[in-house]
Amino acid sequence: MQKIEAIIKPFKLDEVKAALAGIGIQGMTVSEVKGFGRQKGQTEIYRGSEYTVDFLPKIKLEIVVEDKLVDQAVEVIQQTAHTGKIGDGKIFISPITKAMRIRTKETGEAAV
Amino acid sequence: MNTMKRFIEKIKDHGERKYFLALLGGKLLGVGLSFLVVWAVCTYFGNSSPKAHADEAPAKMEGMKMEAAPAAPAATPGATAAPAAPAPDVPNPPYVNPMNTMWVLIAAFLVFFMQAGFMFLEAGFARTRETVNVLLEGVVDTCLCGILFWAFGFAWMFGHGNGFIGWGDGNGHTWYFLHNLPATYESTGIAIYAYVLFQFAFADCASTITSGAMLGRTGFWGDLFYSFGVSGFLYPIFGHWAWGPDGWLNTIKPAAFHDFAGSTVVHTIGGMIALAGAIVLGPRLGRKFKRDGGGAMPGHNMTIAAVGTIILWFGWYGFNPGSTLSIMDTAGCARVAINTTFAACAGALTAMFYVFPRSKKWDCGMTMNGLLAGLVAITCPCYWVSPFGSLCIGAIAGVVVVWGTDLLEYLRIDDPCGAWPVHGLNGIWGTISLGLFATGEYGMPTPTGADNSAGSVVTGLFYGGGTAQLVAQVIGNMAIGVGVLIAGFALMYIVKATGTLRVSKEGEQEGLDIHEHGGEAYPETVTSKLN
Repeated sequence: MQKIEAIIKPFKLDEVKAALAGIGIQGMTVSEVKGFGRQKGQTEIYRGSEYTVDFLPKIKLEIVVEDKLVDQAVEVIQQTAHTGKIGDGKIFISPITKAMRIRTKETGEAAV
Repeated sequence: MNTMKRFIEKIKDHGERKYFLALLGGKLLGVGLSFLVVWAVCTYFGNSSPKAHADEAPAKMEGMKMEAAPAAPAATPGATAAPAAPAPDVPNPPYVNPMNTMWVLIAAFLVFFMQAGFMFLEAGFARTRETVNVLLEGVVDTCLCGILFWAFGFAWMFGHGNGFIGWGDGNGHTWYFLHNLPATYESTGIAIYAYVLFQFAFADCASTITSGAMLGRTGFWGDLFYSFGVSGFLYPIFGHWAWGPDGWLNTIKPAAFHDFAGSTVVHTIGGMIALAGAIVLGPRLGRKFKRDGGGAMPGHNMTIAAVGTIILWFGWYGFNPGSTLSIMDTAGCARVAINTTFAACAGALTAMFYVFPRSKKWDCGMTMNGLLAGLVAITCPCYWVSPFGSLCIGAIAGVVVVWGTDLLEYLRIDDPCGAWPVHGLNGIWGTISLGLFATGEYGMPTPTGADNSAGSVVTGLFYGGGTAQLVAQVIGNMAIGVGVLIAGFALMYIVKATGTLRVSKEGEQEGLDIHEHGGEAYPETVTSKLN
């Protein structure tokens, strides 16, 4: 069981979601986040004067999947979230030690 | 002090001094040229204030005071039952009637405030990322419309000319730039500028309606170009057909076309151009339609959308009752106001109950559009129908708006606010409904009361009037509706040919606010800082 965290461009969410559903991933958690990487911030305009926004809006998508699906899921996310421009985001993978479904108390892979 | 010292130091230097003098000379030349331009403009335009009858006005006013006073009570009780015949010794205007002018001014302010309602409604139905765009479009539309109405819009719409376009007073004087205007408009007794303001507010509505169907993907240059076309050309020219002093729809036989406050002139025109715009633009990126397994993109703020709807309703009390142009027709004004109210009530409730069985949910967005649909529909017949008639008209409007929304969904046309179902389709329904529901008791408002004489009453099919009025309504509405749809397509394709109509794919994904205006409607202050 591993957790995949992907930071992606907001307008890519629908595409990524559909692609993940296509390989049989049934649930995900999505949050609206702000951050910056190499892209830095951007310049916006308010009443004629420029100001810099240091943090840009992104979507953080978290899914926990069984080990055999991890590579496929990561590839799908990379392909669908890709625009080739700076600011496409990142994917992080980390192991999950334990999981439980609250309703049924199932644990392990049955819970995800 | 320091600046002064530096200046004196610099001026001692020869090179600097030459530079300074050259600069000063240039500025003076610029100022001189500006004065020259001002002088040229003043000379050319001269004194454009209403002057044609300014000298006669006070004298006639004196006479009027005597006659107007007894005329008013006579009109009040008798307006619905007996025709208050215009007193024979009332001097032919122009005299400026203070009561009616005040009434029209108040109505103009109310109609103008509808712009706030439109902006609220459209912003609420838009997504967060295009809110600034919608708001700025509403503001700029208004300003652009004002300039165009001054330059030629008013002359084309309300000037004398031929049946299709007007330009002046019919005696060789043009009304461009509001030149050569008489003291009052025609025989209304309304001070001319009050009338211009009132009609400007109407024109403004037409172009804002259009923007409702086009939001979320139109570039701002495109917005400016089509607004210029709608408020400068399409609205005044097609409006002249029905509302111009010699518009050809006023002369059709056997019954003249009637559009009291603009179901056809304002709403069908605005709604049809909106439809053309939505089709030419294509749907927003990511908009899936019902038969493709998707649905409407939800608006971002129902609070302001709902408040906007109620502001529009409030503004409609200027739109409809104000169109009497005469508070002396007290019964008429009151009837129009109550009819406006009942149609809105009926429209909202029918739309709400009509969509309830689909989802077993009480739908806020559709109820609001049903309310507006009722208002749009009653706009044309409001003077000639009974309160019961207005309830029926509003109720049907509430169903029509749902059908229209379904039809657009089926045809895969993306209309984010429902401008076509509300304004286009119900403009048509409202116009035709006059031919069905007109009671045959009411004629026309006049500056001194109501003219309910046998020759001027309007009777619909359901009240034994036959099909004459119905036919006139269909002809008038179809002529303007189809004409403006074709012209709307032409306009939108012309703007599209300039490449400014739709923003780039990247711009749309980023959101129009950042892409076109460089900032968001709701910037987070925590994660950004002002320089």
